[in-house]
Amino acid sequence: MSEYAHPEVLVETEWVAQHLNDKDIRIVESDEDILLYEVGHVPGAVKIDWHVDLQNTIVRDYIDRKNFQMLLSSRGIANDTTVVFYGDKNNWWACYAFWVFKLFGHEKCVVMNGGRQKWIAENRPLAKDQSTYAHTNYVAKERDDTKIRAFRDQVMKHVTGGNPLVDVRSPQEYSGELLHMPGYPQEGALRGGHIPGAKNIPWAKAAREDGTFKSAEELKELYQSQGITPDKDVIAYCRIGERSSHTWFVLQYLLGYPKVRNYDGSWTEWGNLVGAPIEK
Amino acid sequence: MDRREYIEFILDHYNNPRNHGAIDDPDILVNGGNPGCGDVVTMYVKVDDDNRVTDVKFEGRGCTISMAGASLVTELVKGKTLKEIEEMPYTPLIDQMGEDVVKSRLRCATLGMDTLKGGAREYPSRKATGQKLIQPIVLAHTLSTD
Repeated sequence: MSEYAHPEVLVETEWVAQHLNDKDIRIVESDEDILLYEVGHVPGAVKIDWHVDLQNTIVRDYIDRKNFQMLLSSRGIANDTTVVFYGDKNNWWACYAFWVFKLFGHEKCVVMNGGRQKWIAENRPLAKDQSTYAHTNYVAKERDDTKIRAFRDQVMKHVTGGNPLVDVRSPQEYSGELLHMPGYPQEGALRGGHIPGAKNIPWAKAAREDGTFKSAEELKELYQSQGITPDKDVIAYCRIGERSSHTWFVLQYLLGYPKVRNYDGSWTEWGNLVGAPIEK
Repeated sequence: MDRREYIEFILDHYNNPRNHGAIDDPDILVNGGNPGCGDVVTMYVKVDDDNRVTDVKFEGRGCTISMAGASLVTELVKGKTLKEIEEMPYTPLIDQMGEDVVKSRLRCATLGMDTLKGGAREYPSRKATGQKLIQPIVLAHTLSTD
């Protein structure tokens, strides 16, 4: 792993197993399937639900500083706690939660390589009871949306300036073949296709079968062969920003790209946005 | 029931799905879901001459709540007419699963019911032309890359 630009942000399942009772560590499970935590979780892990815990319920946005402080305090996370994120779906939501924690400037964030899938595949122990910890008095910085988050107007300028975008959705979504599925029109868009100039590099290409990240060499080849190079300002997007969090993590931390932003509005915004150009 | 009991109820349906599998020669076979989200379900239905459900089964894959909801709905609709299924409220399903537990994933919870309602709605017009309602399974190929 030393070949990654920032190997310190990735820990292996064995490392986590050795640190289950480490008081300086808090393990956080973030899943798409919200009941997986109840099915069984890494002993001592707390649950953070991206939908319930991280979202503003009125505005399409993330929670504010006050609510972030309350959330982390309730999970027994202090300012100097090392938070280990893991989850289902190849760590999509773990990377998403990691990204939100970074918006608020939490310093010590790491991802468990391989996520929930690998932990279970290795027959490691699972706990069912909810883990509780003494409340802390977490003090967060104001949320900083300027460095790692992109908004639609910025994306528009980015497109106009000919800067690189990575569309991490499936090829069918990228081509416009898929808008949405029966029963799920809410997650679709009026138009199918992609943001002009975006390269289609599905998030899954950065992951191995066991859910772990591919090697630095493989990742470099994957992105640089498509013109996504570290000298450029890169924006990644998907449908709502969860899969692109995975790619954001790869580019920013595993490959060390200095300017990578996640466009969390993604296709559910751009595909419906009046005046926004698309390509098919 | 408290939250933990609702969760146990859902996990029981997930781990021991009721009416799971396919029906040979169904009158209705409908697919629903969102491969982009990972939830897909196929509902199979046999009906009698009065369009009353005599058998219903499901297959699928997806999150705990979507699969438990599909299992539960098969129990709720047996013996009902297709018209009754079309008009069924969502409340009994949501209440049994625990509104507080599933409220942030209502689309998952109602995936099986919505799919079944779609089949119930379409079937009479197909039947009038002497056909069954058999939709092909589509779009599962996107699962691997999404």
